[in-house]
Amino acid sequence: MLSRVAESLYWMARNVERAEDLARLLDVTATRSFDRLEDALPRWQAIYTVAGITPPENAADRLQTVDDVVFDTTSRFSIAASVRIARQNAVGVRAELTTEVWECINGLYLFVEAQSARAVGPDGTSTFLRSVRDTAQAFGGICDATLAHDDAWEFLRIGRFLERARMTSRILRAVEDDDVAPHVWQLTLEACCASSPFARARRQSADPVEALAFLALSPVFPRSLRFCVREIDAALHMLSGAPAGTFADNAERHSGRIAASLDFAGPFDLVREGARPFAVRLAAQLDELGSAIVSTYFPAVPVG
Amino acid sequence: MRSILDRYAPAPAFDEFAAADGQPRDHYAPLAATLAGISSADFRHRVTTVNSVLLQRGVTFTVYADARGTERILPFDLIPRIISGAEWDVISRGVAQRVRALNAFLVDVYGDQRALREGIIPRELVFSSQHFEREAVGVRPPHDTYVHVSGIDLVRDADGTYLVLEDNCRTPSGISYVLENRDVLKRAFPRLFAGYDPLPVDDYPRRLRSALLASAPRNALEPTIAILTPGIYNSAYFEHTLLARRMGVELVEGSDLFVRDNVVYMKTTRGPARVDVIYRRVDDDYLDPLYFRGDSALGVAGIFDAYRAGNVTLANAVGTGVADDKAIYPYVPTFIRYYLGEEPILQNVPTFDCSDAAQRQHVLGRLDQLVVKRTAASGGYGMLMGPMSTATERADFADAIRANPRDFIAQPVVTLSAHPTVVDEGLAPRHIDLRPFALLHGDTVDVPPAALTRVALTAGSLVVNSSQGGGSKDTWVLAD
Repeated sequence: MLSRVAESLYWMARNVERAEDLARLLDVTATRSFDRLEDALPRWQAIYTVAGITPPENAADRLQTVDDVVFDTTSRFSIAASVRIARQNAVGVRAELTTEVWECINGLYLFVEAQSARAVGPDGTSTFLRSVRDTAQAFGGICDATLAHDDAWEFLRIGRFLERARMTSRILRAVEDDDVAPHVWQLTLEACCASSPFARARRQSADPVEALAFLALSPVFPRSLRFCVREIDAALHMLSGAPAGTFADNAERHSGRIAASLDFAGPFDLVREGARPFAVRLAAQLDELGSAIVSTYFPAVPVG
Repeated sequence: MRSILDRYAPAPAFDEFAAADGQPRDHYAPLAATLAGISSADFRHRVTTVNSVLLQRGVTFTVYADARGTERILPFDLIPRIISGAEWDVISRGVAQRVRALNAFLVDVYGDQRALREGIIPRELVFSSQHFEREAVGVRPPHDTYVHVSGIDLVRDADGTYLVLEDNCRTPSGISYVLENRDVLKRAFPRLFAGYDPLPVDDYPRRLRSALLASAPRNALEPTIAILTPGIYNSAYFEHTLLARRMGVELVEGSDLFVRDNVVYMKTTRGPARVDVIYRRVDDDYLDPLYFRGDSALGVAGIFDAYRAGNVTLANAVGTGVADDKAIYPYVPTFIRYYLGEEPILQNVPTFDCSDAAQRQHVLGRLDQLVVKRTAASGGYGMLMGPMSTATERADFADAIRANPRDFIAQPVVTLSAHPTVVDEGLAPRHIDLRPFALLHGDTVDVPPAALTRVALTAGSLVVNSSQGGGSKDTWVLAD
C-alpha cells in the first residue's frame, strides 16, 4: 500500500483513540468530582498533564478544563483537534475506507464541530463526552468489522494501540507516588475503563499495587500496557513477515524489547521501580517506538 | 390534500415533463401519477432528509471562490429526469460517433496532420489553442487512444432536438453525482420508482476500469491502474475517492509517484510498485514540472518521459484539450464527415468564430442577444450571457474580443429545455442540460446509461454549472 496512505491510517486511528481516551478521562473525573470536592482541583490539573496541554495559571475548574481540553482548537491536543486531525487523515485516504468507516468519522467530526462549550452547557458535559466516546469506540468496531484485515488494517491497529498505551502510561504517570488513596486508584482504573475488569480479575477493591500491576501487566485486559504493546508487536510482525520473537527492523526491535520487559515483570518489580518512574520510563519507550515506526514505514524519502 | 404537482405550470421552452397540451408525456405519466399523491409538506421533509444524508456521506465539492475552502453539497433535486429508450439510442450513438471523430482528430493533430495540410481546419486555429501541446507531437499513446473518458454536454432546443453544447475531453467530472444521486434517491424516496425500471448506473466504475485496462501499454502483463488526484482541496476530490474505491485501484497524489528509468512507480510500504495506467484528474499544465508548469507541485517529474517511452498510459492522453477548445468545436461535424465518412447524428449549436473578421463584426453588433464564451475556459466561468448582461459587461467583452479574437466564440442563446424542479412554492420548470459520459478504448466507445443532468436552480437561468448555482438530478434512462 502507499506509504502516505499507511501514515494517514496510522494517524487517523491514533487521533480517534485519543479523542475516546480523553473523553472518558474527562467524564470520569467530572462525575467523581461532585462528591469528592476536596481533591478535585489536582485532578483537573492532572488532565492537562495527561492531554499534554498547558494548564492556565489560575487553578482550572471543571468548566474551564472542558473548554480547554475539549474545544480549544488552537491546541492540536484537544478532543476537537484530535477529531479534526483524524477526519483530515480520513479524507486523504477516503478511497481506502468503507462507506461505514467514512461515515462514522465524518459524523463524529460534524457532531463535534457543531458543538461548543456554550452549546454543551454546564449540564451537558457528560452526555456530550459519552457521545464522543461511544462514536470513537464504534469507529474501532466498524473498522474491525468492515475492513479487510490486511496491511491497511495493521496500520490502524498499530495507531490505535500505540495511542492507547501512551494514554495509559500518561494516566499512570499522573498518579503521584504518595498519592495512593484508594479512591484515586479507583478513579485511575475507571479512567482506563478498567474498573469492572479489575474487580472481576482480582475480586477486591483498588489495592494500589494490584491496580498498577493490572493496568501495566495484564495479558488479557485490552488497555493494559502489556496488551497494547503485544498488539503492536504482532501487527509489526504481520507487516514484516518476520517470525515472532525475532526482529526485521528497528520498529520491531523496540516493540519486542518493551513487550519482553512487560512479559517478564511482576508486581514486585513495579513496586521496586516505583509507579511513577515506571510510568515515565514506559511513556518514553513508547515515544521511541512511535519514532521507530515512523522512520521504518513512512520515510520522507522513499526507500528503494 | 394539495399535491406537489398541483401548481406546476410548464415553461415557455421545451418542457421535458409536459407536452404542449399540458398533459404529462407518456414516459412521465407514471411519475405524474405518483407525484399527484404526495403533499408539498411530505416532499419538503424528504428534501431535508436527503440533504443531511449527503452531508454525512461527504458528497461535497469545494468552491474555489470561497477562500475558506468550504465544503458544500451540490444541491440535489429529487424529481428525476427521464429519458426514453428511443431518445437514449440517438444520444448514445451520437455521442459515440462524436468521440470517435474527436479521437481521430487528436491522432491526426499529434501525428500526420493530414487535416491541417488539406485545409479541413485552419492550421493557426489548432496551433494557437492554449491546450495544444507541442511536446506531444509525434508521441503515439498506446492503442492510439487519446480521449479515454469524455463528457459531451447536450441541450435540447425549443423543438426538443438534442444539440451538442460543448465537448469535455480533458478531465470531465460529475459521474460521482450520477452514482450518489441514484443511490440516495432509491433510499430516500423509493415511491418515485413505481412504474419504472431505469437502467442501473452503478456499473460505471467497472466499465471505466475495463476501458482503462484495455488501454494499458502492450507490454504490461497484469496492468496496475492508479487514479492521480490533485488532492483533497480539488473540487472533485470526492469523485476521485469514490471511483478509486469502487474500481479497487489506488488513489495517488503526485508525491506518491516517482519515475526511474522512464518507468512510473508508487511509493508503497513494501517498496516501489510499478504503475501502468494512470487515470489522471490533473490538467496537462500540472502533470510534469519538467515539461509543463515548473511550479507545479501536483505532478510527477519525468512522467512525460515515461509516457513518451510508451511505458505508461495516461488517461486522458497529453494534449486532448485541443479537441475541446471552443474554437475547434464548430469543426467537429466536419471531423465526423472527414475522418469517419458519416453524417453527424447530433448537431452543433450554431457558433460564431470571433477570429474570423466578418463573424466578429456580426458578434460585436449583437452582444445583447448572444452568449459569448472564452475558448479555453470551462465550468461556466468567464461567460457573457448577452440578454442578461449590463452595458458595462458588454463593453468589457467587446474590448476583450477585439484584443484577443481567437479567445472567444459566440452562440445564439439556446433556450434549454425545462424540467419540473422542487422550489419553495412546489414544483416549477427549471432549465437543464445533459452530460453523458463516453469511455473509449481502441475503436470501441462505451456510453454507459449513466448521464448527469444539471439544473439551473434560479428561475429563468440558463447556466447549470455547479460553480454557478446549479444543481443536479437523478437521470433515468429507460430500456425501451
